[in-house]
Amino acid sequence: MAATNGSGGAQIVACDAGGTMTDVIVVDRDGSFAIGKAATTPGDQAAGFCEALDEALGTPGGSPASLAAIEACVYSGTSMLNALLTGTGRRVGVITRRGEEDIFLHQRSRQSWAGYGHADVLHHVAHHRPDPLVPRRLVKGVEGRIDMFGVEAIPLYEHDVRTAVAELLDDGVEAIAVCLMYSYMNPSHEQRVAEIAAEVIAEAGDPPVTLHLSHELAPIIREHGRLNTVVLHAAAAEPSRAQLLRIEAALHGRDYPHPLQVLLSHGGVADIRYQRLHESTFSGPIGGLLGARYLSSVTGVDNWVCADMGGTSFDVGLIMAGEPMIDREVTVTRRIFNLPTLVMDTVGAGMGMFVSVDPLTGRITLGPESAGADPGPVSYGRGNDTPTVMDCALICGLLNPRNYLGGKVVLDVDRALKALREQCADRLRIDAHDLAEGVLELVASSMREHIRTVLSTRGFSAADYDLLAYGGAGPLLMAAYTSGLPFRGVVTVPWAAGFSAFGAAAVDLSHRYQKSTGIIVPDGADDGWKAAMGTMVNAGWDELEARASEDLRAEGLSWDDATVVPIAYVRYGGQLEDLEVASPVRRIDSAADMDALTDAFEDLYRRIYAQVATHRQAGFQIFDLGLTVTIPKVKPHLVRRDVEGPAPPPEAVLGTRDVYHGGRRQPATIYDMDALRPGNRISGIAVVEAPATTMFVPPDHHVRVDEWSMLWLTAGDQT
Amino acid sequence: MSVSKDDLRDLYAGRLGWDKTKAIISGPKDDDRFETAVEVLQEQVSWPERILMPLREHLYVVESGGERVVKCDCGHEFGDWRRNWKLSALIIARDDEASLEEIYPGLRRPDPALCEVREFICPGCGSLLDVESVPVGCPIVFDALPDLDTFYAEWLGRPLQGVRRCEDLTHEITSRWGQAEL
Ligand SMILES: [Zn+2]
Repeated sequence: MAATNGSGGAQIVACDAGGTMTDVIVVDRDGSFAIGKAATTPGDQAAGFCEALDEALGTPGGSPASLAAIEACVYSGTSMLNALLTGTGRRVGVITRRGEEDIFLHQRSRQSWAGYGHADVLHHVAHHRPDPLVPRRLVKGVEGRIDMFGVEAIPLYEHDVRTAVAELLDDGVEAIAVCLMYSYMNPSHEQRVAEIAAEVIAEAGDPPVTLHLSHELAPIIREHGRLNTVVLHAAAAEPSRAQLLRIEAALHGRDYPHPLQVLLSHGGVADIRYQRLHESTFSGPIGGLLGARYLSSVTGVDNWVCADMGGTSFDVGLIMAGEPMIDREVTVTRRIFNLPTLVMDTVGAGMGMFVSVDPLTGRITLGPESAGADPGPVSYGRGNDTPTVMDCALICGLLNPRNYLGGKVVLDVDRALKALREQCADRLRIDAHDLAEGVLELVASSMREHIRTVLSTRGFSAADYDLLAYGGAGPLLMAAYTSGLPFRGVVTVPWAAGFSAFGAAAVDLSHRYQKSTGIIVPDGADDGWKAAMGTMVNAGWDELEARASEDLRAEGLSWDDATVVPIAYVRYGGQLEDLEVASPVRRIDSAADMDALTDAFEDLYRRIYAQVATHRQAGFQIFDLGLTVTIPKVKPHLVRRDVEGPAPPPEAVLGTRDVYHGGRRQPATIYDMDALRPGNRISGIAVVEAPATTMFVPPDHHVRVDEWSMLWLTAGDQT
Repeated sequence: MSVSKDDLRDLYAGRLGWDKTKAIISGPKDDDRFETAVEVLQEQVSWPERILMPLREHLYVVESGGERVVKCDCGHEFGDWRRNWKLSALIIARDDEASLEEIYPGLRRPDPALCEVREFICPGCGSLLDVESVPVGCPIVFDALPDLDTFYAEWLGRPLQGVRRCEDLTHEITSRWGQAEL
């Protein structure tokens, strides 16, 4: 489904392969783009990718177009996560320190309610530890201890290691993950385990068993998340890389001349040969944040609330001063991983959510289950008979039954109406149309509350932000869920349905490195102490730089082209949370350099909290160091178009349709989103249709198309 | 979501998988959950008296000879449900170091000057029915006195025969304490 077919020729391809659908966006040299969608093909992701790509290129089923002129191709997807969850990854054995063998059973208490809704978090009886990532039998403890300062407290018992490796080999493991305490302070024990393991593997006749060490993959404090991360890598990264290489081979077969790149969950992009490929695991939802960051750089709007509405969830993230927020721990599928990830807060509110009546209270209940893409909503007619939120939107006339997903699916309104009436409306003794409208308002209000929570729990106000609505379903409810929130502006884009893939296309090539340490600078520390601590910081940064330059070399990139930013995670003494501070100095060579770093922290602290919250009397602590390296990559060229008059061209007006709104049927004007011109203004009540998305404009609301083709929604008199 | 009788049977037996168990914990109760649960329990006990309400593992309030009494699944009856059944049970009071040491050895043992543990045993079958850990001298705890008539009349919509005032009658036992027969 071509959004706007330009003439500049395709330049960038980006892909967002979700659990059910694969979206591909093709960006042309003149800034126009086209979106293709196909069912995800988990067995061989290249198939779904190519189908969606051909649709975006406008050659479905025809002779495949050459990709020789494409300059970059970025992939993001959930295949690795699925491999881990469905147990189709490799068989992993674990070597940890003696006494810690039950770590996958003990876990962290947070994991017993991770991923739960609010009610279940509060109810202890519902808490439950997820199944161990690795069965207890495949976890071996070895004696030995490095203390928190990196000093050897107990030597490594090498015979323990030999026994452990031999037992794991007997058990048929395909990979061995090694995670010892404080290995990020001193990796010598992990390195020695690797040497011994290599010997034992060789003695056993060299079975194809790989070794993965925590200090190389995730040298970050907290064993449990670190171990989860190493296991994720060991189990899923290589099989996933094989899938990616297959996709790359398919592209090369069509003359694509560059390596395939993969989106990383902290917003970077790397060659698929990148060592720590597991960093791409959770990149699915973050594409939109990167797209918004790119819009910031183009439009100058620098604070965004990014709101992504999909089939099962509503994800909200923030862009502040042009940059997204990042967390060093991420909770996915009820497990905690030490993986730097852009922050998105998720709530279960999607178009696929089931609508039902609570038998006890007689109230409407939404979710928590969703219909998914197959069988989908009742109106798909594919076997699901429980009404969904999407069915309610259809019943209200907001969706066009003959122009849904570009006409790929013809929707059965009567079937949806019958299901909603019989299962819900009749039980409540109200009209099914009123109920459908009420359901949409209920969903919108939970989305509104979610946005309010995301902002207010961080002490922010909507008045400082513009809201960007995307995801195929985002524009449909954007007027409703932003109602009453004092945003500076509310906007969506014609390519809302492919916005996450667009974001993946819009990032630089960048890597992020992380390492834990233990730096303490008490209040009133003398210059000698500060300089000594600076030496420790420098040692950490040196190590990360060495790793970074090695990675770039392996990808065939030049260190000289890279922008390098050293990072320190600074907190006041005794605090539990820290802030990411981009260091103002490349190295800390004097007490003054250390002061510059802690001053930068306090500046940031003051901006986020308040002057009165600063507390330098407590001293400063740095437990994590980081480093980012960035190399510019070709990005979509968003084109500023000439602003025309307010009246939409005749071809943009498709006619009228009755919609049910405000408790009655009202005729709404239907517009073709792709035919609207910059400068056009339309007023509600209206429905703006695009092949993969639909925007609803209620009465007293107005839409203005700006010079970037972005659609700004306003309420009331101001237009 | 309606929970099937088979699933409830498995739930009581500790055989229901976590996914289904979690769905029951987090989901709303079906209209007929109480009836189905009582049906399952009624099938499992060996005596004919009608279960009015399950109290806890092993124990039910049943209709017996026109009275509502607490009954163990072994058949032992503890008397009127308004009198704390624990006072008619066999009691092991762990109120000194030696007896506490048996179940909480070493550093785990609480101080008997502060706390005592009471175990309530069925005189009919010897099952451990309940344990309470309370400050020394604390009266025996009456865990729950269900208002059966209100529940049946106003929640289930089918009132029980012969309304009883729902009040704590435990004093009928304790007032006899210290008298000659004890
Ligand atoms: Zn008994």
